Amino acid sequence: MNEKLTVATNRLRNQALLSFVVLPMILLTVVLLGGLRVNAEGGALVFIPPPLVTLVLAVLLLLLFVRGGLIQPRTWVAHHHSPLTNSSHILTLIALFFASAQAFNSVLPERGLLHWLFSFFFLWTLWNNQFSLFDARRLLRSLMVLFGTAFVLKHMLVAGLYAPEGGWLKRLAGTLLQGVSLGTLDAPTFSPATGYISFFTLVLYITGLLLITFSGEQITDGKQHLALTPASELEVVNRESENHEAGIVNRT
Amino acid sequence: MQHKFVQISGLALSVAYAALIVWIYATEPRTFREMATGAQVAAGTYQVDQAKFDAGLALFRREQFRAARDEWQRADPAQNDGRTQFYIAYAFYREGWGRVYNDDNLFRQGLEKVNRAIGLRPEPLNIDDPDLQIHTAAELKAELEQGTERSWGDVNPLKVLRTRK
Repeated sequence: MNEKLTVATNRLRNQALLSFVVLPMILLTVVLLGGLRVNAEGGALVFIPPPLVTLVLAVLLLLLFVRGGLIQPRTWVAHHHSPLTNSSHILTLIALFFASAQAFNSVLPERGLLHWLFSFFFLWTLWNNQFSLFDARRLLRSLMVLFGTAFVLKHMLVAGLYAPEGGWLKRLAGTLLQGVSLGTLDAPTFSPATGYISFFTLVLYITGLLLITFSGEQITDGKQHLALTPASELEVVNRESENHEAGIVNRT
Repeated sequence: MQHKFVQISGLALSVAYAALIVWIYATEPRTFREMATGAQVAAGTYQVDQAKFDAGLALFRREQFRAARDEWQRADPAQNDGRTQFYIAYAFYREGWGRVYNDDNLFRQGLEKVNRAIGLRPEPLNIDDPDLQIHTAAELKAELEQGTERSWGDVNPLKVLRTRK
């Protein structure tokens, strides 16, 4: 019984830490790093706030999360949760929204025709996905591919095309598009560190989504989670846990 | 009890972290040093580097205005000290002042700095320095504005008799 109690208590603690501390921290770090670029000249930090189109994309993505069952709004925010739990979940949802916007911001070219081309393709994909059948895992896989492709396009192909020293892609494009101006495809040049930051941001974002997927049903407050297991048993677990802690305090 | 503690600390941490992110995006620091200086300003612990300020003042008195401005800019990297910004504006005024004509570009930069100095303090800025002839930011602003304006007075030959303040 004692062992069972310890396992249940540890599980509760870990879940609480994951849902209320680790997950919001991961999502907020994505919010911070998603707009960070490092200037190629001088290495100055540039913080780019999420453009309007990324907010629209984030709304579409959140709708997709709800449709795919990755987020269950009724489980996250409900009248039977404590106000504290509801506040934490609302904050996590807000963080998820801005993290999604910043994840898009991280893989979107900053300006020019490429910015609008990428935005259009994102919009097209997300809009089409609204009418497809998804479960949480398939949605996650699809998102990994979407962000992975955008990352490769922006930070490897486009960055190579506009590298000041001129990479192989620039030479190839120069040969293929002889006489055609690349002026309309104008893009600012950033230091290679920007690509690393973006990669780290996307990995964090996907990690956050994985955490949400795997702890989906358990992102409720402690008592609500306990309702998933027989109530009487967990009441005993809680009471015994309190008695156990009181015992330790008395002994010390 | 522990569950509630985790919830409360998680919520507090998240709110503090979110506020930090908003602040970073609002102030757009370009380096980690700027970020640290900005944090000092926000926390109210920011102070001007007095040694660099004094070095700037010594250069200013020797009429080395450009060098003085450099020192003062290093003394007040956050541009958050009204007194230092006033002196920088004064250095622009003295360097830009000419008996026949003023350097508009320097005067405009001076105007920018004096406006910044005025904006940093709710109360009027008054500098008690016997080496200066202009002691308030408002007077300096008026002098710089007058210097950049075009008027018939500009062609008055008696203008060469005026003195630099």
